[in-house]
Amino acid sequence: MWRYTVRRLIQGVITVWFIATATFAAMHMVPGDPLGSERATTESIRQNLEARYGLDKPVFPDQYLIFLGNMARGDFGISFTQQNRSVNDIIREAFPVSAQLGVLAVIFAALGGVLLGALTALNRNRLPDVIIMFLVILGISIPSFVFAALGQLAVVRLNDWTGQSLLPVAGWGTFQHMLLPALVLGLGTMAFLTRLMRSSMLEVVNTDYVRTARAKGVPPLRVFWRHQLRNAVLPVITVLGPAIAAITTGGFVVELVFAIPGLGRTFVEAVQQLDYTLIMGTTVFYGAFLVLMVILVDIIYGWVDPRVRLG
Amino acid sequence: MSSPHDYAPHDYAMTVDHLEVEFDTYGGTVHAVRDVSFGLRRGKTLAIVGESGCGKSVTVQALMGLIPMPPGRITRGSAKLGDTELIGLRERTLNRIRGNRIGMIFQDPMTSLNPTMRIGDQIVETLRVHRGMSIREGFKEAERLLDRVRISEAQERARQYPFEFSGGMLQRVMIAVALACSPEVLIADEPTTALDVTIQAQILDLMQALQREEGMSIILITHDLGVVARMADDVAVMYAGQIVETGSVEAIFHRGGHPYTLGLRRATPSNAPGRAQQLEPIAGSPPDLFHPPAGCGYFARCPHAMRICERRMPEPFELTEVSGRADEIRHRARCWLQHAQAPRTEGVNQNDAGREVS
Ligand SMILES: Nc1ncnc2c1ncn2[C@@H]1O[C@H](COP(=O)(O)OP(=O)(O)OP(=O)(O)O)[C@@H](O)[C@H]1O
Ligand code: SF4
Ligand SMILES: [Mg+2]
Repeated sequence: MWRYTVRRLIQGVITVWFIATATFAAMHMVPGDPLGSERATTESIRQNLEARYGLDKPVFPDQYLIFLGNMARGDFGISFTQQNRSVNDIIREAFPVSAQLGVLAVIFAALGGVLLGALTALNRNRLPDVIIMFLVILGISIPSFVFAALGQLAVVRLNDWTGQSLLPVAGWGTFQHMLLPALVLGLGTMAFLTRLMRSSMLEVVNTDYVRTARAKGVPPLRVFWRHQLRNAVLPVITVLGPAIAAITTGGFVVELVFAIPGLGRTFVEAVQQLDYTLIMGTTVFYGAFLVLMVILVDIIYGWVDPRVRLG
Repeated sequence: MSSPHDYAPHDYAMTVDHLEVEFDTYGGTVHAVRDVSFGLRRGKTLAIVGESGCGKSVTVQALMGLIPMPPGRITRGSAKLGDTELIGLRERTLNRIRGNRIGMIFQDPMTSLNPTMRIGDQIVETLRVHRGMSIREGFKEAERLLDRVRISEAQERARQYPFEFSGGMLQRVMIAVALACSPEVLIADEPTTALDVTIQAQILDLMQALQREEGMSIILITHDLGVVARMADDVAVMYAGQIVETGSVEAIFHRGGHPYTLGLRRATPSNAPGRAQQLEPIAGSPPDLFHPPAGCGYFARCPHAMRICERRMPEPFELTEVSGRADEIRHRARCWLQHAQAPRTEGVNQNDAGREVS
């Protein structure tokens, strides 16, 4: 398990390096000089940047190596557009917001997906199954901004109807602010996980070892938890990495729609304003974060499935 | 094929009477088990033999409440473990019997254990459910049980997962699980079919040794007559959802009274000395269980079929036994050849043969 973890971490570092290099190359291929007069807002920022990134030197290898060195030290540089603010500061402020939202969305998606999937499988072809699976198809095919708009509309109606402001429609600050956007953000993934969990549960319900458990006189609830759910959930864990990635990128849209000051919105704004350092910083940060998540999920999988852990 | 009062003078651990099981499928209703009755003598091994699909597994699954319902249905019959009726029990009551008074092992040990649970935990589970043991106590007991099924280094093995075991070892584990609560009855559904020949012998030896030590009764399902000869005291021959012949292992092997039993015998390789005969597979196939025939199920394949056979299924005839041993179960066959007026038939042990002489 240790060797496996170390190997995965090394692979992860290589992946992040690749992402960083691609980002660097892309930034230098965009037409126009990143430090062209319209972009670099003030003279002081411009001088700062020139000194820092060796912009008077050739792009390759000098600038590239400086860039890599900075990234390796975790120094993402200074924003092009927000005076005197380092990219690190901006990320440090915005990321926790996105992380809270994302974690809540992942919890919604994973718990909802696992429970709904198990429920539909155990009631196969009966009414709850048919209804939920219909909603799942909607959930998979409808984009999240539509859900966002519908969700906001529903909350407005609800608040009107009760005459109280039960849930805020947008913004950030309290737990109530998080609920609706997290639900919207997790919905597509929840639908996808429900479908996966359902088919995996259907495979498990009639396995030989479930029959053995019954033949042992194990009560139904325990058969469900210990024998069916635990084995059925394995395929769901393997896709949790990509699911986290989907929720992370989904955050771009949801944070914009709900006016949430998270990293997703920061990134979209950075692109709109061509804030090169901020784009590169957030891209590499996102890359590293997702790589880490995937490794973490793999390790968790190994912990749940002894064949991976010990085999 | 008999009613309970016929069972005397034997002491039965389990009796089954007029059991019928059906399955609803897209193609119609499958009559998988049709009027099956038998008795399992205490401390003895009853083998149920018959070709694939004849209803052996469904029969024992019905006793264990393991028939998936739907699509399955037990439409008739009774099964008693001692004085306890098993058919129609509520799940909760049944769960006090399964794993406790009846243990069961299956054909494929590789898939019959939970891949994500330690071996020890899977044994402990039975002990916790039925004996209320703590995990620590249970683990001690699990190690002792692994020892009993001749698994060495039990302490270490109990902490391993199924994928770290071979098929033969896993079947030993299954036996340990099944015997954890010292059940009165062990049901083994083709316990060696999925294993190598040498391993098969080891598992059978183990079952025999444990039976001697624990005195449990065994229902052994197999289609291997070699296994029957080695293990069984009594035999029930099943065909197309019905039991067509029952008797002691000697009666079935040497004085078979039903043409299917004889066909089965000739279709099986034999390593008994002086028996180097040619193998003759039984021609044809069993009847459609969607519409089981009114007459004898073996009619289409039987070399001795008569007109009555197509119209009516015979009730069991009792064969006069030449051994005359009191501890043998009765020899019965559901075949018109056992009728007093049936023509004498070469190779079939017939009732009238004995009757005419006396
Ligand atoms: N769940 C089910 N649904 C529909 N039909 C079933 C089901 N289970 C068993 N059957 C039918 O019942 C009949 C008897 O099956 P069973 O499994 O008892 O055969 P078997 O004698 O154990 O054969 P084998 O030697 O292959 O194990 C078969 O015709 C089978 O198709
Ligand atoms: S009853 Fe008739 S058809 Fe059936 S086995 Fe006997 S002789 Fe053959
Ligand atoms: Mg079977």
